[in-house]
Amino acid sequence: MAMEQDTGNDLSFQNLGMVYEARTGSVAALDGFSFDVRANEFITIVGPSGCGKSTLLQVTSGLQAPTSGKALLNGRSITGPSPDKAMVFQSFSLFPWKPVKQNIEFGLRVSGMSRAERDELVDYYIGVTGLTGFENHYPRQLSGGMQQRVAIARALAMRPRVLLMDEPFAALDAMNRTLMQEELVRIWSEHKPTVLFITHSVEEAVYMADKVLVMTKRPGRLKCTIDINAEIGCAHWRTQPIDEVLLVPKFQELRHRVWEEVRAEIEVNA
Amino acid sequence: MSRRMSKTGRDRLETAIYATISVVSVLVFWHVFSVHMLKNEFILPSPMQVIGGLERLTLGYLGGNLLYHTGSSLLIVITGYLIGLGIGIPLGIMMAWHEPVNRIIGPVVAVLRPIPTPAWIPLAILWFGIGMSGKVFVIILSAMVPCIFNSFTAIRETPRELLDAARTMGAGKRTLLFEVAIPSGLPTIVAGMRIALGNAWATIVAAELVAASAGLGFLILAGYRNFEAPVMAAGIISIAIVGLIMNFAFQWFESRITPWRESEER
Repeated sequence: MAMEQDTGNDLSFQNLGMVYEARTGSVAALDGFSFDVRANEFITIVGPSGCGKSTLLQVTSGLQAPTSGKALLNGRSITGPSPDKAMVFQSFSLFPWKPVKQNIEFGLRVSGMSRAERDELVDYYIGVTGLTGFENHYPRQLSGGMQQRVAIARALAMRPRVLLMDEPFAALDAMNRTLMQEELVRIWSEHKPTVLFITHSVEEAVYMADKVLVMTKRPGRLKCTIDINAEIGCAHWRTQPIDEVLLVPKFQELRHRVWEEVRAEIEVNA
Repeated sequence: MSRRMSKTGRDRLETAIYATISVVSVLVFWHVFSVHMLKNEFILPSPMQVIGGLERLTLGYLGGNLLYHTGSSLLIVITGYLIGLGIGIPLGIMMAWHEPVNRIIGPVVAVLRPIPTPAWIPLAILWFGIGMSGKVFVIILSAMVPCIFNSFTAIRETPRELLDAARTMGAGKRTLLFEVAIPSGLPTIVAGMRIALGNAWATIVAAELVAASAGLGFLILAGYRNFEAPVMAAGIISIAIVGLIMNFAFQWFESRITPWRESEER
């Protein structure tokens, strides 16, 4: 195997391409996607439906191998799933037969961590995600918002280097969604794993991100990057409640700019 | 027998009332029809005559009392059923998990599946004689086939996302099978076990009707040969009662082994 060059970045996508072979012909989901993510960055990704956003996460998680180009984590090619890349799915993907606590400790137990260590970590993340008192509930006994908290706790308990989130709040109602956005920022800021966060909500993307990536319609490539930190110039607004941030002119301007970029892609499609 | 049946006391009472009305109406209709209209106890004995038949059976009939015959049937069913599960469930799981196993054994199962188990009875007698082993053989078949099929389906239908989630948390192939696919499919596997139990119970009666010297099916056949309709009816009722008890026992087992499903009601 050739030497991988260390780019000095946490995550590096180099000319990534993904072509699915279907009976009706081949479909290119990603084409020449290149981007570098620095450690501890919170990246949100928006783009029209079917633009390969989910494929990008699948490749990053190691669940799928790209058909061309490469994805590097800490300078090394991603060859398969591993606990340093945790994933939170849109449909939560909790194990229905395990109570909350066992769901959260699953990855730790699989990795061979001792019971005492496990208990400590799990208890900590149960507290952080506001699940105290629900340890012994089965997922089906919880609301959607609570289930997604379990999924987030389960991912964070692995103390991953990279946290991959595939439209994690899409299944929640609007109010729960707002609460979870603020909660996620708070939880994330405790340890600041690198985050790739896919969303269809421009508002969500601009509120949480250090950088917003806009992707083109299929086959997905990087259309533009909006560096929210550079645009704000001072402290990030994500530490404030969303309803207050919504009133900030700069937020409105950036939301508008991102939306215009996404809209252009959707209208090209139509 | 819905698992989603609500558990409030009021609903339970209502269910019990409807069940009583339903059973009592059948008994009344049966009584009126047999005693006042048909008036032919060789064709259709009255409920009271059947109770007489049950009484005769409990006192002892052809080699033993009702308990003896029930025990004889149950012994064969339980033996064959457990062996059938022991072969069928692991086989179905392995077929679903390892494609080569499926390619080799799948076609054989596909051929066996549509054969109603009673069709095997004459052949089983030819091979094993009329003793216990022939019957155990057909019971194994009757229990094994639904277990293979349901276990196979259960594992094949493990939600992709659950496997993916486990893989991203570092689960290897063994962990995926034992900690994700099997527990995820457990409700379907248990449903197969339930079908298998019904099959096994139906099959033992059929086998005893063909060749046996004891058992509930044997009692029915003996009643037929001796022109004793009350004995035949009493045999049928005994089969129903044992079947009901097995079903209740199974429901209890099901709620214990898949406790997370009960919580769906809340």
